[in-house]
Amino acid sequence: MRVLALLVSVVALQAMEVVALPGQSPIINFRFVFRCGSLNDPAGKEGVAALTAAMLARGGSAQASYSEILEKMYPMAATVGDQTDQEMLTITGMTHLDNLESYYATLREMMLQPGWRPEDLKRLRDDQLTFLRVSLRQNNDEELGKEVLYNLLQGTAHSVGRVSSLEKLTVADLKAFYKQHLTQANLTIALAGKYPEGFVERVKKDFGQLPVGRASAVKRVVPKPIGQTRVTIVKKPTLAVAYSFGFPIAVTRSHPDYAALLVANTWFGPHRSSAGNLYQRMREIRGLNYGDYSYIEYFPRGMDQFEPDPNLARRQQIFQMWIRPVEPKTAHFALRLALHELDRLLDKGLTESDFEDTRSFLSRNVNLLLKTKANELGYRIDSQFYGTGEYTEAVKKAIAGLTVEDVNRAVKKHLRKDRLEIVAVAEDAEGLQKQLLGDGPSPMTYNSPKLADILEEDKVVSTRKLELKAAQVRIVPVEKFFQ
Amino acid sequence: MRYLLGLVLAMSLTAAPSRIFPYGYDQHDLPNGMRLVTIPTDFPNIVSVYIVVSVGSRHEVEPGKSGFAHFFEHCMFRGTAKNPPQMWEAVMKAAGAATNAYTSDDLTVYHATFAKEALQLILELEADRFQNLEYSESAFRTEALAVNGEYNKNSSEPVNQLHEKLRETAFEKHTYRHTTMGFVADIKAMPNQYAYSKEFFARFYRPENVTLVVVGDVDQKVVRELTAKYWGPWKKGAVKPAIPVEPVQTAERKAHVDWPTATLPWMMIGYKTPGFTENMRDAAALDLIASLALGKTSPLYKKLVIDEQKNDVLAGGYENHADPYLFMVYARVKKDADVPAVQEAIVSTLNGFKDTLVDAKKLEAVKSNLRYSFALGLDNSEAIAANLASIIALTRTPETMNQVYDIYASLTPEDLREVAQKYFVAAGRTVVTLAQKKGAK
Repeated sequence: MRVLALLVSVVALQAMEVVALPGQSPIINFRFVFRCGSLNDPAGKEGVAALTAAMLARGGSAQASYSEILEKMYPMAATVGDQTDQEMLTITGMTHLDNLESYYATLREMMLQPGWRPEDLKRLRDDQLTFLRVSLRQNNDEELGKEVLYNLLQGTAHSVGRVSSLEKLTVADLKAFYKQHLTQANLTIALAGKYPEGFVERVKKDFGQLPVGRASAVKRVVPKPIGQTRVTIVKKPTLAVAYSFGFPIAVTRSHPDYAALLVANTWFGPHRSSAGNLYQRMREIRGLNYGDYSYIEYFPRGMDQFEPDPNLARRQQIFQMWIRPVEPKTAHFALRLALHELDRLLDKGLTESDFEDTRSFLSRNVNLLLKTKANELGYRIDSQFYGTGEYTEAVKKAIAGLTVEDVNRAVKKHLRKDRLEIVAVAEDAEGLQKQLLGDGPSPMTYNSPKLADILEEDKVVSTRKLELKAAQVRIVPVEKFFQ
Repeated sequence: MRYLLGLVLAMSLTAAPSRIFPYGYDQHDLPNGMRLVTIPTDFPNIVSVYIVVSVGSRHEVEPGKSGFAHFFEHCMFRGTAKNPPQMWEAVMKAAGAATNAYTSDDLTVYHATFAKEALQLILELEADRFQNLEYSESAFRTEALAVNGEYNKNSSEPVNQLHEKLRETAFEKHTYRHTTMGFVADIKAMPNQYAYSKEFFARFYRPENVTLVVVGDVDQKVVRELTAKYWGPWKKGAVKPAIPVEPVQTAERKAHVDWPTATLPWMMIGYKTPGFTENMRDAAALDLIASLALGKTSPLYKKLVIDEQKNDVLAGGYENHADPYLFMVYARVKKDADVPAVQEAIVSTLNGFKDTLVDAKKLEAVKSNLRYSFALGLDNSEAIAANLASIIALTRTPETMNQVYDIYASLTPEDLREVAQKYFVAAGRTVVTLAQKKGAK
């Protein structure tokens, strides 16, 4: 049984690629990943990739309306999902083996003969518009800060699009995108579970109906140069102040320094983990907020999940620090402390024991990323994208060969203390702007005694100069973003 | 053993199986009242430990103490004399573990997922904090600020505010009147509750309230031995809280929230329903009605979300609770002007179940959907533990899953009509709405 589960075949059939993970589970997972995404959205038509994916996964087919499809899927509790990022467009599917034939027949129709109904377009476009206008701008200051940061650093629209472009998209735009980019050349099909003999061949043959096409010339994100640190305060009604800040890095999973930077980041600010240095210094010791983390890869929806979704692979990543909302009265201090911790990471690096503990943690914890077959399929495809071996093995192998010097060298080479893009989300934007420009002391007071070394450190932190000039700190109303 | 489990898993669900939960398990009570449930699976190398404490915000009976069960969950990470927080972190880190915790109305759950070699170490470490928790007042006061930060980060989401309003409108006496986060004034006062936190631990963190769930690549005999060794010495002594009984609601209630920023209008409609263990049959019937009334293939969903596109969110249902709670409907409406019509459509749909028998074929489709949803959710050891936790908090046994699915299988259209007549009554209804405040930006 286990031997079977390890049988992984990566077969290139003409242009299409296939990842097959046969196993004993009656849960059958499908993953169709197209090597195209929101970077392929034509200018003025931002959102077309995401809306095309939504029409395939959450719209009708030529044969059946969306309601009819839901009726068919419902007794099986089978699902179809979609995810669009800058460079990947993913359709996922899951069903029980009992229903595989009937499910697959419907899924195949949805993807190969989409219905392109105007009423589906209207409903799904409304969903994307509401996401930008309401969910992102108003209901989630943390995700807002992160997405504004990407927008400013990369000059790219959100992968869901822009309000102004979405309003104008037509069925013809979606059809054109589908024809040009959802091709065999861009497609990897991935399957897991106890599917029958010959099933993979059938799926390959069916999807051979897609145009062969050519691999989409995905435009690369070219990060905007940053001459000096810039602060953007996004103004909106809210109780607290949220921060996200960072800068572009040259490292992706393809880069020789990926493993070293992964170790450094796992020590410094691992996602939603109380073990991270940043979390310990800001939340655990000082109670400034609910948590503080750092990232070397895109990780949307982090407030709702503990592990990143696969198939968000990008050739351009950023280093990012995420400071969860702080009370307005400590906002100035919190930013200074986060920057102070970044300074310490660069100046002091990891100690030998930090390094050994973190490496040991990673070598085991990395396995948990693949706890579901859906994730395992996704990670296989990401490994193809980055041209690396299987992810967990590649990470374990790479970190086994590292030294603490390698890690600290990578930190110095790829991270920096200056030329930061800083995003704050605040209601009293003017007050925060005044504090940041004034650069005066921001002493901390606590509701309980603190150790002497913390109080000493606070003295340094609370007078740490940001040295920002007026032109470097601007206030932008939230409505200006994603428009 | 593994091979057999695999066979069970691969069984067909086209007809209702005799037992929905496909895994064998070992259920064992310690003399101190703690219960161990071990579920060996064929997912290799990984183990998930879920420590299910049947204590939640329902236990917050004293004025000024709302939100305390959740706050106390945070305190549990503040260490013991033997294992200060740094030590706990170090052991978990060495095990490569993913750890966290969550609190709800009737439960608090502490969980860790890790490589199987670390099982002994983690059971020992966790047993230590449940028996010997010890933290300073200073650490306590700092942790209270982190909880305030948690409230702040949630505060931009209107659903949270609407939910608060629904509860304080629908309940007068019962502790379900407040959310698990608690009233904001109580959250602000938390730093001053150090003495009470000790009291809370002594009253409720006792073996009789705890079920240890171990799922994954384990040997149940070894798990029993380790549990007896590390958790056996824990002293019993749980106090039963005097949870106020909610008076019978006699008239419909309404409330509204003005929201300061751009939003689509929301509504929540709640009907008073019985506690899960008090009437499992009605609870199961309400689950089926929820799917038929609000599910993605329901006529109401088709009308409001797909055809007329008045709504972009329509969901809800019965939630398993220890005491009488609510059958809830959530709806987000695209235009303010459509709110009354949407409310009317929801209420009349639920009323329809009182006089019209549901179509037998549709009922079968719902039963099939529930069986397959459950099976598709069991795709790894952690998911199995997570799926069982809320039921185990109420009944302390995975067997309840089999019981509930047996009840689903037995329910008829007549049963559903009878249950709808009992609970979908105007006098038990609470409607709360939320919309952008006039003149707000």
